[in-house]
Amino acid sequence: MTPMQRLELIIERMAYKRACRVLEQAGITGYTVVPALAGFGGGNHWQRDTDISGANDMVVIVTIADAVKIEAALEHLRSVFDSHIGILNISDVKVMRPDRF
Amino acid sequence: MEQALATLLSPMVLFFMLGLVAALLRSQMSVPEAFAKGLALYLMMAIGLKGGVEMSKSAFSVDILLAFLAGIILSAALPIIAYVFLRVSTKLTPVDAAATSAHYGSISIVTFVASSEFVRASGFDISGHMVAIAAVMETPAIITALLLAQRGGQKNSSVAGSEQGELVREVLLNASVVVLIGALMIGWVVGEAGFERVAPFFVDPFQGVLCLFLLDMGLSAGRGLRQGWRQLGFSAVAFGIYMPLVSAAVAGALAFGAGMSVGDTALLITLAASASYIAVPAAMRLALPKAQPSIYLTLSLGVTFPFNLTVGIPLYIAAATMIAGAS
Repeated sequence: MTPMQRLELIIERMAYKRACRVLEQAGITGYTVVPALAGFGGGNHWQRDTDISGANDMVVIVTIADAVKIEAALEHLRSVFDSHIGILNISDVKVMRPDRF
Repeated sequence: MEQALATLLSPMVLFFMLGLVAALLRSQMSVPEAFAKGLALYLMMAIGLKGGVEMSKSAFSVDILLAFLAGIILSAALPIIAYVFLRVSTKLTPVDAAATSAHYGSISIVTFVASSEFVRASGFDISGHMVAIAAVMETPAIITALLLAQRGGQKNSSVAGSEQGELVREVLLNASVVVLIGALMIGWVVGEAGFERVAPFFVDPFQGVLCLFLLDMGLSAGRGLRQGWRQLGFSAVAFGIYMPLVSAAVAGALAFGAGMSVGDTALLITLAASASYIAVPAAMRLALPKAQPSIYLTLSLGVTFPFNLTVGIPLYIAAATMIAGAS
């Protein structure tokens, strides 16, 4: 098993494409976006189907890459999170097929 | 008074109230998200088609041009009035005030659809081009609001990952604009004969589908209010009620100047008085991400939409009868 880093972003739906573009520009070769159902943060409860515009919706982006690529992405993701609602965390993981990352 | 009571006791408003009360009581009832989006598409296709068919029957005239001009002026100017009111009477920051003002310059297509039904039920005719005016009123407000935000100190710095044209796409090619204009053009091309072939789908079930959609809107408005009311002070809630009336007064004056019919005047007033909650919130998240969505969404969806649907529309029809009757 090969050590890698897993980057998880919970970000407002309207900004997820911006975050994904940053990941791609950092050389990350894959990611998955899943919708978030509901949550609590900043003193507010939110849920997915509150309004038809979807402006309140949140999504989760998950990607795995080596530390160099994750560091390159972080530099620009700071700018995304300076403007948009969301959080980000990184954890150490091990993968079976490192050539896929 | 009779008109107001008839509106309040119509199936559409009662289903909206059912959704609102259910959400405020924390009922588990919900309309699946994809289904609600499908209903919205159906409603926009139906009114676009009907508008296009009506337009195919009449020639283009100066009156129509004046009506379009009135719509564009309203959409571009109302955010300035809304911004001034918000800055003077509430504690909203310049960026929150600018984002909120965009919602009050732009339009709510569901309020427009509901108003169209009530105007027809009152015995007034509606011109087909009013649908096109609704579509063109979606955008100018967003541009005005961005200028107001810049003036209020919002820097125009680009967020990493932004793509050139993403905001323009969101503003000009959002679902409501594309479907409305597209269906309008299709209706105009196929005319009455072509429309008759799809009428069983777009005419008879229309009011029932509107009830279903308004049930979902009631749920959305109730949930929005429950989750966002803490962010709003009394002055902001008051703004959500008096701003539609201010907009209605300005629109009434313009409709009078443009010599519009009672039905068209009522709809122009409704369009001006309504606040967007589909196209503009999405555009604001891209253009002014520092503005708080819980403020502008709660105001437009939780305060102004219910006010317009229950109290506003009968008022606007009564005002249009007076205005157009005097011209």
